[in-house]
Amino acid sequence: MSEVEKTFIGGLKEKLVEDKVIDESELDPNFAKEIQKYGGKDVMTCLQCGNCTGVCPISLKIDYKTRSIVKFCQFGLKKYTLGTRWVCATCYRCYEHCPADLNPAEVMIALRHIAVREGIIPPFVKTAVTNLVKYGQSVKPDPEIEKIRKELGLKRVHSEDPEFASVIREIQVLVHASKYDKLIGIQEEVKL
Amino acid sequence: MTAPAPQDKGATTSGQDKTKAAASAPRIGVFVCHCGSNIAGVVDCGKVREAAEKLPGVVVAKENKYTCSDLGQEEIIKAIKEHGIERVVVASCSPRLHEPTFRKCVQQAGLNPYLLHMVNIREQCSWVHSHEKDRATGKASDLIRMGVSKASRLEPLEAREVPVEPTSLVIGGGVAGIQAALDLGNMGFKVYLVESQPSIGGKMAQLDKTFPTGDCAICILAPKMVELSRHPNITLLSYSEVEEVKGYIGNYDVKVRRKARYVHEGKCIGCGACADACPVKVKNEFDLGFGQRKAVYVPFPQAVPLKYTIDKENCLYFKTGKCLLCVKACSNQAIDHKMQDEILNLKIGTIIVATGYDSYVPKKNGVYRYWEFDNVITALELERLVNASGPTGGHLIRPSDQKTPKRVAFIQCVGSRNKKLGIEYCSRVCCMYAIKNAQIIKEHEPDTHIAVYYNDIRAFGKGFEELYHRIREEYKVEFIRGRPAKLSQDPQTKSIKIRAEETLLGKITERVFDLVVLSTGLRPAEGSIKIGKVLSLTTSPDGFFAEAHPKLRPVDTAMDGIFIAGCAQGPKDIPDSVAQAKAAASSAAAPMFARKVSIEPLTASVNEDLCVGCGLCTELCPYGSPELVVSEKGGMKAHIIEALCHGCGTCAASCPQKAIITRQFTDEQISCEIEAALSTTDSQNGKHAGGKKKSTAEV
Repeated sequence: MSEVEKTFIGGLKEKLVEDKVIDESELDPNFAKEIQKYGGKDVMTCLQCGNCTGVCPISLKIDYKTRSIVKFCQFGLKKYTLGTRWVCATCYRCYEHCPADLNPAEVMIALRHIAVREGIIPPFVKTAVTNLVKYGQSVKPDPEIEKIRKELGLKRVHSEDPEFASVIREIQVLVHASKYDKLIGIQEEVKL
Repeated sequence: MTAPAPQDKGATTSGQDKTKAAASAPRIGVFVCHCGSNIAGVVDCGKVREAAEKLPGVVVAKENKYTCSDLGQEEIIKAIKEHGIERVVVASCSPRLHEPTFRKCVQQAGLNPYLLHMVNIREQCSWVHSHEKDRATGKASDLIRMGVSKASRLEPLEAREVPVEPTSLVIGGGVAGIQAALDLGNMGFKVYLVESQPSIGGKMAQLDKTFPTGDCAICILAPKMVELSRHPNITLLSYSEVEEVKGYIGNYDVKVRRKARYVHEGKCIGCGACADACPVKVKNEFDLGFGQRKAVYVPFPQAVPLKYTIDKENCLYFKTGKCLLCVKACSNQAIDHKMQDEILNLKIGTIIVATGYDSYVPKKNGVYRYWEFDNVITALELERLVNASGPTGGHLIRPSDQKTPKRVAFIQCVGSRNKKLGIEYCSRVCCMYAIKNAQIIKEHEPDTHIAVYYNDIRAFGKGFEELYHRIREEYKVEFIRGRPAKLSQDPQTKSIKIRAEETLLGKITERVFDLVVLSTGLRPAEGSIKIGKVLSLTTSPDGFFAEAHPKLRPVDTAMDGIFIAGCAQGPKDIPDSVAQAKAAASSAAAPMFARKVSIEPLTASVNEDLCVGCGLCTELCPYGSPELVVSEKGGMKAHIIEALCHGCGTCAASCPQKAIITRQFTDEQISCEIEAALSTTDSQNGKHAGGKKKSTAEV
């Protein structure tokens, strides 16, 4: 398994191999409705034609099948889906091609919402948000990058700009007000 | 009426009328139906009956397990006779289902059949409120109270009879139209068959073989075409179009435009000397552009009638004023470039619409690149390419280099089952014709590798599943469950690479094929849309003509005397089209055998004293029923052609003078219902809510 696969879809495959027989008690009959609640269309309209997998740019690089994730959702196999949600680039190509007018990308976004609410948050999300409240961007400023920017005659990144401090503060207030800090456990960073 | 609204808004129901009605209040019987558990499972029918008993004018109220059964009808007749009932209210299913049943029953007991009123407590109550039993019971009571109130104002009506012309018009000369015309002709009726193309035969004439038996399509169709053209009772009007249809069942006046062929049908013997002489070559539409024809042509060798037609757009004489080589070649002087369109006026009793379908044409920017890649073709094009009388003489070639393809792929559900395109229906024939075409290719070239990309295989008919299995097992055709995502073309070989997920394997595959066939779906024919407007026919959401009832009146339309057959009604295969054509023919024959038809009296009628002849009703009526005529009293007045009127009430509602009433839906009757709905009880608990009277003015 490649590094990318481990980061993004790790857990799913091991679980699938482990479970020889899926017990009915593992199925969540209201899962499709839950997805709808978080902005996905009705996954039950999917006819499993596989067009979405075929057009998915992610599927070129790693073993990731949009169609089968939608099938898991239809089936109510909640825990299988929760390890897969972050890999989607939300390019919406699947939506463009879907003959059933379903939007698999939005289903993936809904799955992220559900996963975060269930407390399943991969470490890279926490890192990204920590960077956001510290520097106002999800990628940590790097002296190497600054050097290259200078060589290319570009401005310094905003986070290095003293005037940008008030903007970062605003982001922190927003993150705190929406209780997002508590949800992913970065209260300390926002307190400043 | 116990409690008419205190502030009566409707001026038409004056106080005087009400006292009169009360004085001679008709005796009403209410019959509450359980419909097994359909109604009784939700609505407390006992409670509803008790409430109905207390209503003013109600003499008797009964409940039945099945009111429509013999026993139930017997009870109605008995009650009418024993209690001297004058108005009958049946609370059961939709009047669409059993109104005729109960009308007959009431008539048997000696009452006028139009003194029956049906209250729908099934479709409009128990079925839709199955989770709220108490409130459904309350609503059923409310509905019955409204019904009883209306029933007290019902007037007896008499049905009228009109004569029927024993002549039929069949529009469309495909297999359905041909069969319908033949059946009617054999029954002894005069039939006119109108076909817009130079030859009859329709889409079936273009096909190679038919599934599941593998009969050659034209071989089984051509004898029928010839039989039709020689039938003494059938007049074939090819290269003609229906321009105008006026009138009503039994009495249609139809205008048919006979397009100028520039060849006299009576003189042409079909020798083809003119076509040999003609210097102009164009693509033949019948072969979907693969073959060629001359500017004077018959579309295919078996054409009926075998009469040549000059294509005005391409003929040199019409373009330059010179040439006339065909005229010199014709030994019978049949060619006349000065011919004009003719209009034929026909008197018609019944009409059968069999206008067929159009094959779906892939979009210009579609993912399957039909317009870009030479070797992506549609299934109908393949039919011509494998057809023995087609442009290649039955040798399958690929368009880019005329070589025989070694690897062929079929892509299913193109232009079907696609919400994005707004085509949600299944075209029903594509699975089977793809399987059949795979078989034909395998029989021609046994070494060809064939793959079918499908979503679901629908082999539902007689012998279909067996053929599907034979193709898999005997012919080793590969079936891949997955909708192709991307097609790309090799610039050198012009072969097509298909990228798709093989969903049963869970793997993305990329494979190369020499030829890709798109199994395109069926769309309503363009001609159908035009004819639909001429005949005021309604369509279902899929765009095909709507039948009067999906199960019980499958070949009737909402217009009496007009029937539908074949793919005009929806996608179907040849056996189904023929069966439906035979059904339509026998349905159309029924009123023609009887020579008369009875017409419902539930129509609009005009009070000439009030009518000012504004003509608004003539514009709004969807059926063309009202017309403005010079009245005896002078001036233009609206007049309703009753045979055309469906009693929809559009004219009555729109009439600024209130000069039009719709029988059995008069303002007075509807006001009564509304008053009853608002007046007495509270539907929540069924208790009399004395102080809660609402005035109609408030509402």
